[in-house]
Amino acid sequence: MKAVNLIPSDERRRGGAVVGGGRSQGVAYVVLGALAGVAVLVLLYGVAHHHASSRRSQLATIAAETQRAQESVAALTPYTSFIALREARMKAVADVVDSRFDWAHAFHELGRVLPRDTSITSLDGTVGAAGSTSGSSSSSSTSSTAGSATPVGSVPTITLGGCASSQSEVALTLQRLRLIDGVGDVSLKSSGTSDGSGSSSSSAQQCAPKSPSFSVQITFDPLPAASEPASTTGTQLTASTGGGQ
Amino acid sequence: MTARDRLVLAIVAALAVLGAFWVLLVSPERKTVNKLSAEVSTASAQLATVQGEASNALLAQQRYSAAYTSVVNLGKAVPPSEEVPSLIYQLAQASNEKNVEFSSITAGASGAAAASPSSPATPTAAPTGFTQMPFTFVFSGGFSDLYHLFLQLNKATVRTTSGGLRVSGRLLTLQGVKLEPITETTTTGASGAQKLTGTITATAYVLPASQGLTAGATPNSPTPSAAAASAASTPATTSASTPAPAATVEPLR
Repeated sequence: MKAVNLIPSDERRRGGAVVGGGRSQGVAYVVLGALAGVAVLVLLYGVAHHHASSRRSQLATIAAETQRAQESVAALTPYTSFIALREARMKAVADVVDSRFDWAHAFHELGRVLPRDTSITSLDGTVGAAGSTSGSSSSSSTSSTAGSATPVGSVPTITLGGCASSQSEVALTLQRLRLIDGVGDVSLKSSGTSDGSGSSSSSAQQCAPKSPSFSVQITFDPLPAASEPASTTGTQLTASTGGGQ
Repeated sequence: MTARDRLVLAIVAALAVLGAFWVLLVSPERKTVNKLSAEVSTASAQLATVQGEASNALLAQQRYSAAYTSVVNLGKAVPPSEEVPSLIYQLAQASNEKNVEFSSITAGASGAAAASPSSPATPTAAPTGFTQMPFTFVFSGGFSDLYHLFLQLNKATVRTTSGGLRVSGRLLTLQGVKLEPITETTTTGASGAQKLTGTITATAYVLPASQGLTAGATPNSPTPSAAAASAASTPATTSASTPAPAATVEPLR
């Protein structure tokens, strides 16, 4: 038996068209997808373009503000310079104030610790050069490299001449002098009576017969750094309390 | 060409179009945005810096009056010229107040109490800071009186607890002190107050010649001018050579 196609020839052609339309539908999807992609890309481009425009205007605004601020700074430069001058001058004065040795406090301490039976016939105090421990009154100090005449590290020394009632009183005096606030060292230079027992100083002649005259050198701690806070005038000395041994 | 070929071709063409769109338009624009963003960040930082400077400058303008007063007050401690009369006046006033006799004053460091190797009679400029003006003066009085005198001289310029400066006179640094009993009154073992001679080597300070007191500024403007310069020096001279009340110079805040 021979198979016979019962579908009319027209219908068969249309059916082929339907099949053919199915194949072209794939291309149509591709085209649609491409269009969607283009749309997304256009959107991205638009957003980027918008951001770029926004940044440009922002940049222009900032540049204008910067310009205005710079002009303002330039106009007020004399004021800032003057404030800087004021700060520098105040610091320079403060540095000198802080680097001073408090003689008044040292004398107050001297009067406080000196034994009752001891009298002073001469007192010679100097602020020596930094690092110097010499107590000679004629000791030289280098010229100040800072603004102060007594630069940081200068060593104050006091050479005392006096009379005591006995040699043991001299020993007591040495002990008591170590109690002075800020003292680094106390050393005896000489001690003797005027009746040929060793001392020939002028102070010996001022002492009573049989009373020994003595000469003592008091060396204070070096002056502290100027930057250290100084709330009172006695800072240099109170910073090293406990000199007594 | 089969249907499959056409489909593949369409896909490739679509991808090519999308790629070209990305490469030619979108990507450059995004790079531009990134670059501009970086520029904005830099410019913003610069603006913040300049605005800070401007703010400080405005603050300086607001503080100018106080700063000018401070500088003039500091001129009492360290004047622009030697101002020897005011120095003598200050020493005499201090000695009168403390019952001490002011015997003599000598320009330049001299005598046994001198702590400086050179004893110039004229001011010497320190390498940095102020010009030093050494001098020696002699007082006589009791030990307690001399102690009070030293205290008084130190108090002419002192630190305040807040870190400022209280200025009521010339800034002095005492470098050497020599005390000796006065010969006429020396009696061994004498009780009571005995008179002493105090020889003091001290240094006063002067502003360097290159600096004026206020660098030409006037009370109203920091801009130097010839008129302002003369006006600025006049009140300083007056204030330093006449007794002036103590002034406190506090740090600007």
